[in-house]
Amino acid sequence: MAHQDIELMAHLMRRAGFGATYEEVERRAANGYEATVEELLSPMEQPDLDRHLLDRYFVDWKEMNALEVNQAYLTYRMINTQRPLQEKMTLFWHGILCTGNSKCEHGRQIQEQLDMFRVLGMGSLRDLLLELSRDPAMVFYLDNCMSHKDAINENFGRELLELFSMGVGMDGHANYSEDDVKECARAFTGWTITNAIPRYPYGRYASQFAFNAADHDEGEKTFLGETGNFGGEEIIDIIARQPATARFVARHLYNFFVADEPQVPAWQETPPRDPEAIKMLEDAYFESNYNLSAMLRTLFNSDFFKNARFAKVKSPAETVAGTMRLVQDFTHPKPGLHPIAMEIRYMGQDLLNPPTVEGWHTGAEWIDSGTLVERINFTADQIGNTALPGVRAIIDRLSAEGVTEPQAFVDRCLDMVGSYQLPDETRDYLVEHVEKGGQLQTGTDDYGHRVGQTLQLIVATQEYQFA
Amino acid sequence: MATQTIGITFQYSHTIGRGEFSGPGFRNPVAMARGEDDTMYVVNRSYEYRPDGKRITVCTVDEDYVGEFARGVHTAGETEENENDGSLIWPTAVAIAPQGNVYVADEWLNRISMFDRDGEWLGKWGTKGSGEGELDGPSGMAFDADGNLLVVDSKNHRVQKFTSGGQFISAWGSEGSGEGELGLPWGICVDKDGNVFVADWRNDRVQKFTADGQFLQQFGNGELNRPTSVDTDKDGLVYVADWGNEQVRIYSPEGELLTSLVGDATISKWGKDKLDANSEMWQEREIAQGIEREKLFWGAVAVEVDDEDRLFVVESCRNRIQIYRKQQPMFFGGRL
Repeated sequence: MAHQDIELMAHLMRRAGFGATYEEVERRAANGYEATVEELLSPMEQPDLDRHLLDRYFVDWKEMNALEVNQAYLTYRMINTQRPLQEKMTLFWHGILCTGNSKCEHGRQIQEQLDMFRVLGMGSLRDLLLELSRDPAMVFYLDNCMSHKDAINENFGRELLELFSMGVGMDGHANYSEDDVKECARAFTGWTITNAIPRYPYGRYASQFAFNAADHDEGEKTFLGETGNFGGEEIIDIIARQPATARFVARHLYNFFVADEPQVPAWQETPPRDPEAIKMLEDAYFESNYNLSAMLRTLFNSDFFKNARFAKVKSPAETVAGTMRLVQDFTHPKPGLHPIAMEIRYMGQDLLNPPTVEGWHTGAEWIDSGTLVERINFTADQIGNTALPGVRAIIDRLSAEGVTEPQAFVDRCLDMVGSYQLPDETRDYLVEHVEKGGQLQTGTDDYGHRVGQTLQLIVATQEYQFA
Repeated sequence: MATQTIGITFQYSHTIGRGEFSGPGFRNPVAMARGEDDTMYVVNRSYEYRPDGKRITVCTVDEDYVGEFARGVHTAGETEENENDGSLIWPTAVAIAPQGNVYVADEWLNRISMFDRDGEWLGKWGTKGSGEGELDGPSGMAFDADGNLLVVDSKNHRVQKFTSGGQFISAWGSEGSGEGELGLPWGICVDKDGNVFVADWRNDRVQKFTADGQFLQQFGNGELNRPTSVDTDKDGLVYVADWGNEQVRIYSPEGELLTSLVGDATISKWGKDKLDANSEMWQEREIAQGIEREKLFWGAVAVEVDDEDRLFVVESCRNRIQIYRKQQPMFFGGRL
């Protein structure tokens, strides 16, 4: 198999999933790139996790109450899913269509929202936005339950336009007016949730969406140039057909899957870094009737994606889940998952609890002196643990290949963690380090130790922080 | 409410519990056993990140708090674990020996810990493995009439019999779905005749064996969804925690489904205390919608029937135990 096929597949699996072991990359590369893209785009053809088995051993997952319980569950899913793109899109939408535990009555409510993203996150954007507008976690988070026909609360209406669908502006002009925000909010009056059952004595229950017709503003509204007696559903229909919506989703997909873009607030004035790529994605959006899988198919099969290697800083979730998939730990229920899940928080991404409705700022903003140390310490600890199955498999593989020449040894170690490439100076340093250790001899404890050590040095490089 | 079937009524009595990481209350309870003088020993699994909630709570059927023992420990990886005697990581089951000692199984530590009735640690046994006497995921326990302990060795898909001191006696079962085979079994009980019932979790059925492990009967196929616990009463009725369906199934001795319970919870004594201390929640409850959901089982993981025909249903997701009484009609006079 051609080395470039392996490299390309490793790139695809990093972006469209949470990385893969070298064996999985080889297997997928043998199936072919486009076939793999199609498989990723058909998650329902792959088995889901055995939820009964998880609930049996992780007893608290059946209820999904506390934030940390939900974080552990989401981490386990990212590590073990056989539907990697579905889970990646769930993470994608979680970072855009944000709700947070800091303003949530019940942790399970956000998990149910993520379940909704799993079902709708690769389908029609219209359907997704409509369900989001009915999502109890969102209704509570953005106060739509406080928006009444005689006293609207603009919070949800504003964020629906600004952060969830269109963005403030593009190409130097605004996408909507303050009047549009108000009219939008009027259309969603009466979209509320049931009164919650208090937490004492037995614990919370998920709230349900409820439409209160008596509190819905039935009056005529003018929204984005169209006039009618609009309800929320009609507003979503109008939003879905806006060029600004296509642009907004295209830029988000590009930023998440291809290369780091400026942050959302800059999008009105700052053009896309690759306008042609964005145009391709916008066309796919309209040609497919707003279908996200169609946009993703266009994206993953494009040259702009294939050529965008290591152009993105890994998010904390990608860093932790990718590392655990690589070392093949927590592939079955066992204690000790909580500290792994917390690493994502310590690296700056408190899953299910984003800092604001704007979500997390991505790209270089993931990195500061504290989070960088956290990343390197965590990944080095894991990859240097030669008892873990994935690390053991790498050692056995290199040993079986008889790799003992220092340059080849370093290059194969780079292949094993995702076909990384280092600048000559860094690579030379690693080779020199291996040479200083003396002759490599396969099948020895020293060989395994030095594989682990070399992998640790690789994950500590600047380059490894990129996907 | 009362659920009546063939002359037998299962009358809801009351609910015990509330969500607490310590003191009066439970946190993700997964098993219980009835002790002497109306005491109850309840196994709390808690959240992984709150090991302080892992404990055995001792209380009475009338919801008087007695105490707790056997605290959980933090888990930061297999090799770093604090595995002190009497500590808990993944507690699963509890059984009371004839002399009153309390046995607690931990399916991660592969350990059976022994405590006296007051919670003083007495000893332990258990080694991970698949050989005779070794354990891989002990998930259910029951004493037989001879005072020997039957342990569901779940990941080895078998039942093992030990003396009360932990000496291996015998084992039966193997992985599969045929008669007498088991799939990640969970709960176990011994009936008045010495027969053994096993909740055959992954096979969605209950199997009945002789005391020495000969297959006798299976039931619940097509009805049960991941049954977790089974118990029998002195009349031979079989009670099954139908965990995947959030119900308790009650079968005749012949395996005929007699009735199903879905839950009737009311506010417990401890629950009332908590609400009184947070009075705004009484008001919230007044306007809460769908509060009838609170009656229903959620995480009905264990059933226990005591000598007084009281049925206890442990709910892992609601931190409580619902109690029913079996009532049979009494008739006076001769036949008409």
